[in-house]
Amino acid sequence: MTSVFALAIALFLLVNLVVALLAAARGPTPADRMLMALLFGTTGTAVLVLLAAAGGGTPLVDVALVLALLAAIGGIAFAKRAWQGEEGGDA
Amino acid sequence: MIGSIVRRALLFAGLWWVLAEGRHDGWLLGGVAVMAATWASLRLWPAAPMTLRFAGLLGFLHFFIVNSLRGGIQVAGMALRGRAALRPALIELTITLPAGGERVLLVNTLGLMPGSVGVDFHGTTLRLHVIDERLPVIAEARALETAIAGLFGRST
Amino acid sequence: MLEWLSLALLAVGAFFFLAGTVGLLRFPDVYCRLHALAKADNLGLGFILLGLAVQADSLAAALKLLLIWPLVLAASAGVGFAIARRAHALGIAPWRKEAE
Repeated sequence: MTSVFALAIALFLLVNLVVALLAAARGPTPADRMLMALLFGTTGTAVLVLLAAAGGGTPLVDVALVLALLAAIGGIAFAKRAWQGEEGGDA
Repeated sequence: MIGSIVRRALLFAGLWWVLAEGRHDGWLLGGVAVMAATWASLRLWPAAPMTLRFAGLLGFLHFFIVNSLRGGIQVAGMALRGRAALRPALIELTITLPAGGERVLLVNTLGLMPGSVGVDFHGTTLRLHVIDERLPVIAEARALETAIAGLFGRST
Repeated sequence: MLEWLSLALLAVGAFFFLAGTVGLLRFPDVYCRLHALAKADNLGLGFILLGLAVQADSLAAALKLLLIWPLVLAASAGVGFAIARRAHALGIAPWRKEAE
């Protein structure tokens, strides 16, 4: 029963992700489009772990973990760049 | 030195156990990975001028989980009520935490706390976007500062 | 019993993801949208992971699921600040509620 429920929620989140991605891609500013990077990290990871529970098996949890790890490294690199921009005095 | 090698090796062994989901058939590879990780961590972060306190870590985690719960519930309610619920503003705040890891953590974590997102940062002045200026965002930020100071083993 | 707890946690998680998307669609500017996505979606993921972890086969498998949360949080925190800072640097003025 959990696996059916997990599959249903995974599909729900997938629809949710597509709607949100389209909304973010529409902008209107470039910063709005950067929101897509956030969406992939959170919703993408959630869909992967749900699919693992829905019968995809534990390798999908590994995929989710690697996605999360790469997102974390990316996020830290993003923030670090913003930080160094500050110290370089570009503002 | 020996103490920190042992502590880190145990930490990485625990991490391997979690990643292998408790199976025991991979410990040969796991042992190599643990040794490599310990060596790399000692190279990149030589024994601990900046130790995190265990009690501070628990305190910070508790603070963080409670407040991300509050922040999420708050913003979910606003999303359901629409833009009439919003009263956004930019505010400025003077940071009391010392420069370095503490400030980096503060500015980045604020985005997950109730009502605030860090927008810009100059010297000790932090500019925040708040989603509703009637919320006690400054008090929340001060509480986060205290939790971070505890995490790094300093008291404010 | 544990199964019902798990289902409830998954449903709560899905609700927060929905709220994040609703916020993204309804909020007026990038800063407010960032509030919605950063906070609601991360909480949603936390509930989904917890919901799956309570039903995991072993303690290690449960911890492995929960390990994902801090990683995604770090990603969202860093990316979120970078987006807000970029928006500010681009000169995007925050939306203000008109005085009544």
